[in-house]
Amino acid sequence: MKRRERRSRRRDTGSARGVPAVIPIINKLPFTEVLDDNGVQAIHQASMRLLKETGILVIDYPPALETFRKHGAKVDGEMVWIDEDTLMHFVQQAPATFSQLARNPTNTLTIGGRNTIFAPVYGPPFVADLDRGRREATLQDFHNFAKLTQMTPYLHAAGGTLVEPQDIPVAERHLDMLLAHITLTDKAFMGSVTSADNARDSVTMAQILFGADAIRQTPAVLGLINASSPLRFDDRMLGALEVYARAGQAAIITPFIIAGAMSPVTMAATLAQQNAEALFGICYAQMLNPGTPVIYGSFLANIDMRSGAPCFGTPENTLALYAGAQLARYYNLPYRSGGNFTASRIPDAQAGYESASTLWPTVQAGTNYVLHAAGWLEGGLISGYEKFVLDSEMLGIMARYVQGISLEEDDFAWDAFAEVGPGNHFLGSAHTMRHYETAFYQHQVFSMDNYEKWEEEGKEDSYKKANAVWKQMLKNYQAPPIDPAVAEALNAFVEHRRAEIRAGKPRSDWPG
Amino acid sequence: MTEELDLTTLSVEELYEVMGDDLYDGYKEEVVEGVKEALSRNVAPYDVLTSGLVAGMEIVGNDFRDGVLFVPEVLMAANAMKAGMAVLRPLLAETGAPSVGKMVIGTVKGDIHDIGKNLVAMMMEGAGFDVINLGINQSAENFIAAVKEHQPTFVGMSALLTTTMPYMKVIIDALKEEGLRDQVTVLVGGAPLNEAFAEAIEADAYCRDAAVAVETAKKFAAIRRQRAAAS
Repeated sequence: MKRRERRSRRRDTGSARGVPAVIPIINKLPFTEVLDDNGVQAIHQASMRLLKETGILVIDYPPALETFRKHGAKVDGEMVWIDEDTLMHFVQQAPATFSQLARNPTNTLTIGGRNTIFAPVYGPPFVADLDRGRREATLQDFHNFAKLTQMTPYLHAAGGTLVEPQDIPVAERHLDMLLAHITLTDKAFMGSVTSADNARDSVTMAQILFGADAIRQTPAVLGLINASSPLRFDDRMLGALEVYARAGQAAIITPFIIAGAMSPVTMAATLAQQNAEALFGICYAQMLNPGTPVIYGSFLANIDMRSGAPCFGTPENTLALYAGAQLARYYNLPYRSGGNFTASRIPDAQAGYESASTLWPTVQAGTNYVLHAAGWLEGGLISGYEKFVLDSEMLGIMARYVQGISLEEDDFAWDAFAEVGPGNHFLGSAHTMRHYETAFYQHQVFSMDNYEKWEEEGKEDSYKKANAVWKQMLKNYQAPPIDPAVAEALNAFVEHRRAEIRAGKPRSDWPG
Repeated sequence: MTEELDLTTLSVEELYEVMGDDLYDGYKEEVVEGVKEALSRNVAPYDVLTSGLVAGMEIVGNDFRDGVLFVPEVLMAANAMKAGMAVLRPLLAETGAPSVGKMVIGTVKGDIHDIGKNLVAMMMEGAGFDVINLGINQSAENFIAAVKEHQPTFVGMSALLTTTMPYMKVIIDALKEEGLRDQVTVLVGGAPLNEAFAEAIEADAYCRDAAVAVETAKKFAAIRRQRAAAS
């Protein structure tokens, strides 16, 4: 007799699992909105008034002042004022959706529309895990988080500064981070924004990897450009933005606002300010190079009026997150916001609740690019190993949620009702047998064990379980193959630039 | 991988290995074919049961306990096991082979929640036990009558409601009154129960889930066999 296929899920074959394929997220559900059309208009009008009457301060970057003057803005000293018609003329030139190249073509991103991209935490100077607590981040930690990102199917992008590798000199850090992203992952990565030269290095490495023509056609580098709120941009950010815009690369323009300190305490004013700052940066990118792909960004927390610390997952943040998405849609721009935010220092109950309180609205708002989707702790000061794994579980849940409810003929399971009837169970029905493997989201970290089993196995909470999971992921990690000639060229460039930086020499162009 | 297997070319040990794989994959016809092939080699039916079917189902039970297998997969494996048992049962009776064990199981009076209990019954059958499933809402009288009629080694009781849990004690007391308590091992289970409750009502064991119910029953059955051999 012919044996059909053997079940692959056997104990002895379970350990040989490779790198899981990325699972794209296309949101089929209606977006949640908190403003009506008049509300959106009111915020828009307030922003236009801010830009026209209050203006934006551009510090230490005369080239930007010149660009704004040339394109019709009013400039006096380092202040820039711009009217609605001029601003909107440029904002409208930004694409509603765009692609970002990844080394593995199946991981190339579509940013905008109904797509949601999850990317890991960005920027923490510290890392923490259950075994060693909080400590300064190193390049080894950066490598670990890059590998964990590669191993997580719900992280679509490699992200950027996964941790600040503090054991590497500041001036050359970006080189090691970029090299790690490119070699340890095959997902789309973010470029350096800490100076114009660092942005140039990012573009050069993308040119080596993809070819200069390819990245001219489709951007490969995404830069995270922050406004220095309130109502201010600086030379580092605008300098990096200029490099990316002129090279046809992409940028997220994000006002970083802790409301109450960096904006007024009311959400209407905060949203108007955020909108003004984001549109100002987006307008600048279009003035430099019409059609520059940009993402309308929002990073919005509020201050704890008792201590001065930032708060996350608050009702006010949540409302503003939804409103921000509506404004981005109003301008036909991709939206970046949210993540798995918390003020907590360890993945405790507070971290879980706050993170869920930001991730759900992030997804339900229709956010297109979600930085800080995994690993965020202590208001962004810590990349947490266990938190990364726990957050990823929630990302998996979101990936299933956005698919909505399927209403095909087979989904009504008439054959199951006929087979089972009242009072019996469905676990053995033919319909169940066809669907049980994919019918429900299968948890990777959260445990459904009963008390006795849990007790017998050492009373592990999710924190401890996650500790075992990330260690296993690092063990299972496999580096994505890369053309040796490309790897060699990248290394050569990194060492060339490192030597220049150490010698204090100006940046020379790479002949490649 | 699809494989065309000629069972006649295999040794008995290899045959049992294939039987184990077929059980794991829930292939009913293939399991029956394997049982028949083994019997055609004049292997004792009891050996086919213990070294073939029960040994194969033990792997299924372990992987279920450890979260490797899905519930529907275990049900399919148990169904395949039952099909193999159907071939063996008359031969086992003929040859006077010892039974793995017999269980009368039911959901106690006042309670109609029986999906968990049915899973236990299925798993017990999968492990080679004979199971008499009384169903839901069973009175002490019904349990007593079933014990008298079937002479089981095990009585299994389940309840989902905290309000029906105490009725388990009524049944155990009734078993005592009838002088049947020492003949049977009483296993209890259900979401609101725990070890302490089982002790308080003087059941022999609390089984937290279907996999543990089978393990526990096997342990008690082994002890019984040892005692029987010693006396």
